[in-house]
Order: sequence, then C-alpha cells, then structure tokens
Amino acid sequence: MTTKGEKRLAYAVFVLPAVIIYLAVVAFPTVFSVLLSLTDYNGGVIFGNPDIHFVGLKSYAWMFTEPAGNFYTALKNNMLIVAVSVFGQIPLGFILAYILSRKLIQRGNDLFQTMIYLPNVISSIIIGVLFNAIIYGRNSVLMDIRRFFNPAAVYTISDKPMVPILVVILWMFTGFYMIIFLANMQRIDPAVIEAARIDGAKESGILWYIMLPALSGVIITTAILAISGSLKSFDLIYAMTGGGPAGQTRVLSLYMYQSAFQGAPNYPLANAISTVMVLISIVLIIVTMALGKAFSEKEV
Amino acid sequence: MEQRNISRSAKVLVYTVMILFTVLTVYPIFWLVLQSFKTNTDYLTHSKLAFPSTWYLGNYAFVMKQGNFLMFFKNSVIYAGVTVVAVVILSNMAGYAFAKLEYKITRLLHGLFIVGILLTLQSILIPLFLMVNATGIHNTRLAVLIPYIALGLPMGVYLCTDFEKSIPDELLEAARIDGAGFMRIFFSVVLPMCAPVSVTLAIITFTGTWNEFVLMSLMTSSEKFKAIPYMVGRYAGALGSDYGKLFTSLTVALVPILVFYAVFRNQITKGVAAGAVKG
Repeated sequence: MTTKGEKRLAYAVFVLPAVIIYLAVVAFPTVFSVLLSLTDYNGGVIFGNPDIHFVGLKSYAWMFTEPAGNFYTALKNNMLIVAVSVFGQIPLGFILAYILSRKLIQRGNDLFQTMIYLPNVISSIIIGVLFNAIIYGRNSVLMDIRRFFNPAAVYTISDKPMVPILVVILWMFTGFYMIIFLANMQRIDPAVIEAARIDGAKESGILWYIMLPALSGVIITTAILAISGSLKSFDLIYAMTGGGPAGQTRVLSLYMYQSAFQGAPNYPLANAISTVMVLISIVLIIVTMALGKAFSEKEV
Repeated sequence: MEQRNISRSAKVLVYTVMILFTVLTVYPIFWLVLQSFKTNTDYLTHSKLAFPSTWYLGNYAFVMKQGNFLMFFKNSVIYAGVTVVAVVILSNMAGYAFAKLEYKITRLLHGLFIVGILLTLQSILIPLFLMVNATGIHNTRLAVLIPYIALGLPMGVYLCTDFEKSIPDELLEAARIDGAGFMRIFFSVVLPMCAPVSVTLAIITFTGTWNEFVLMSLMTSSEKFKAIPYMVGRYAGALGSDYGKLFTSLTVALVPILVFYAVFRNQITKGVAAGAVKG
C-alpha cells in the first residue's frame, strides 16, 4: 500500500520537470519582459549594472507618439490579418468543410482535403521566400504575366504593400480552418441530420437550422485562433518582404524583432511592444475562458 | 453513395470549388519544383511559366554539396527528435499527476500551462535571448532545445491531462493493490494506454519544431548548429542572384516535410483538430 508521503513524492517527481522548465523558459521571461520595458536597459550586463534606470512608461509614451507612427502601422497590419481570417479564411474554410462533411461530392474527398491542407505543414519561411520570388522584383512571375498583356509594363513598388501578403496568408491557412470545422461537423450526430432529411429538409435547411447553430461555439473559437495566429505571424512576412518597403508591412512581432535585433538595438521599445503583445494575449485568454464557461454551462 | 438532395448545377458548382482550391494550392508547389531544374539563364530568359528548356541537375549538386544540406538536415532531425521525445514524456508525466494524483495546487499549475497555449514566442524573445547569453549556453544545441521543449509543453500538458482523465481509476487501483509503485504504474500502465494522445502530440510538436525559424536563428550563431529553415531563410527579403539555386534550396527543404505529411497526413489533421477543438 502506498503512503501519503510516497504519493506526494510521486506528484513532485512527475510534475516538477515540466513545471520548472516551463516557468524558467516561458513564465519568467514574460514577467521579465514587462519589467524590462519599464527601464532604459539597452544591452550589456543586466544584473548589478548601475546604468540601468527605472523610467516608468517612457518607452510606451514614445512608442505611442513617435512621429513615424510605426506602432500603429504594425497594429493595423495585424488587424488586417485578423480581418482576412474572419472574412476570408473562416467562411471559406467553413464552406469547404461543409462540402466535405456532407459528402456533396462523390469522389476525391480525401484527396481534396489533403491537398487543401498541404500549405499548413510547409515552413512559412519556404512559402515566404517562394512568393517573394513570384511577386516582387523585375524578374518575378507577376511581372512576366503583366508583360504578357502589356510588353511595356515596368516594375513599380506597390502602394498597397500588404495586399500580396494577405493573399498568401489566405492561400496558406484556409485549409487550417477547414480542418477545424470538418472535425467539429463530424461530431454532430448524423441521426439528427438524417431525421431532418426524412422530414423533408433541404440542404440549405440542414445548413441553416442544424449545422450553423451546432457550430456557433466553434466559430467563436476560430475567431480567437485568428487573432492569436495574427500575433504569431512572423516568418512569412520576414521572408516575403522583411517588413518593407519602409516598414509598411511590419506586424507587431516583426517590429519588435527589428527593434531589438536589427540595426541599432532599442530594447526598451522592443520590450514595450512585447508587453502590448502579452496584454493582447491575456485579453484573449480571458475571453476564451469566459466563453468556454458560457458554452459548457449551456451544454449542461 | 446515397443520393443527396442537391441539383445537378449545385453539384457542378461544388466540384468546381473543390478543384479550383486544390489546383490553387498545389500549383505554386508544382511550379517551384519545375524551376529547380532550370539554370539561372533559362529562368531569366524564358517564360517563367514554361517547363525547363533542358532538365538541369546542377542546382541539386550545388545545394547538396556547397549548400551543406545534410548538415542542416541532421540538425533539424536532432532538434525535432529530442524535442518530441522530451515533450511527450514530460507532458505525459505531468498529465498523469494532474489527472490522477489529487492535490489542490494542480488547479494553479495546470492553469499556468493552459495560459501558455495562447502566448506568443515573440513576446518573450528578448528575455530568452538575454537569459541564454547570461547562462553561457548561447550557440549550443541546448540553447535551442530547452526553449523548444518548454514551448511544446502547454499544448502537451493540456492534451495529456485531458486524455489521462479518461483512464479508469479501478485499473490504477488494481495495479496499486498488486504492489506497483507510482513509477511502475506510470511506465507500465499509463504510458502505454496514452499511445494515441502521444502520437498526436508527437506529430504536432514535430511539425512545429521542424519549421521553427526565429528562435533557432537567434540562439545560435555558427552555421553548424542551424537547421533547414535557416538554410532557406538566408534567401529572405533580398532576391537571390541565382534563381535556379534559390528554387532548388526551397525544393530540397520541402522534401522531408512532404514525405512526413504523405505518411502521417491523417494523424496530422486529427492532431490539429484535437488541439483546437476547445481553443
């Protein structure tokens, strides 16, 4: 028989390795980053360095008011990515999943699903470099096509630099939302749909009165995933445009990265951007938990 | 296949949508592979949508030899392999304790991991970089592996705890009555029963780690510790002067993950759904 002490020891042995590594690498740096954003630390020794001063919200004030408005450009681009997800990927993913789950096509279900999800497993860096070559520069495929219609066409830098990025993001991640919707549609009891069909419901009726209500929680989940996905987007833009021209395609994560690690480092600014990202994540987590509670109560 | 109540024209529409999407997805990748067989001159002087005028293999020789592909591949395998094993074992251990050994602190600890699912790597990049420098492990494989393992844990602990709650208590009781200690129970009862969730977790962790770029680039400075995304990332932003070599690097970098996807595609999509069902 086991004693109380043995159980406590077992708990510690099982939990501590994961907890320690997680606290050290994820939880502590999150707090650390917020603290650093309140100082003027800009590289070099951290601990016991007399040149580090507490400056309060100075970096935030600068971030919000500097004349170039880089923070707002980046934030706006993050929101554009969310918009593409909410108005593009989520509805498209839903439609594709609906077609697959209702077996509206007889052949090739598996093939379609596999192919449409494919870009999601490929590294965003590969996709970014590939589309960089397809879209930008005098030797791009896009220029080739333009020259086909108008031999005198010359390459110019677009005045809407985010458009190609948004198109690639739409291309890349629609399959992700398709898979999520598909998995949840398959959890709907087929007997319910069959009963409705026997009662004479049309496809549109099944979609409107059974599928959509059953998936309302999932649709909200996907919207949250879209926001957190937008915060995580980095590799693709880094590889496609590097944030250019003139920082116009930067998202928050890239703005943070370039402030800290490219050119003259500005750690206070980079830490302030990080903190804003953490705050957005925390709001998302609270919303997710509140929604989770609301929906689980509804199910009971 | 049973008859569905949709009209013929609706059926045509549905097929068109699916085929269009599939072609749009696959064509850029197909196009990329074609370009890898062109010389730079061929690419620049002929239509970019054409097939290669001669099938040139020199780019592949370059990427494999001067491009050091095998070295990057080896590092990718090490990073992904070690991370997967560590995340699966640590998550199962914590999941077992959280699900089956009741203590009040579980609520707090488990909650901490859940919060980590939505946090973004970029927001802790600077402190991580400073910590890695301060501990003197910068430019070692360890500097990449430790963060990778930690970042895999939130999803892992979430999935494993959820799964291990479904293991019947009677089974564990029986093992205990037979005189098995907690370690023994974990390794010979719990872990084998958790094979399904472990496979899902391994696959999610593998694809995430295999494709990770920014952390690996930042935590190491010598090329000998870099992985495949770095090999490709060198071409980022600026356009390469030799398109043939650029496209071949991309193609070669694609092959391992495409093979992986071909083998595990069902588990991959299942894993994505499992991770996202509850947000």
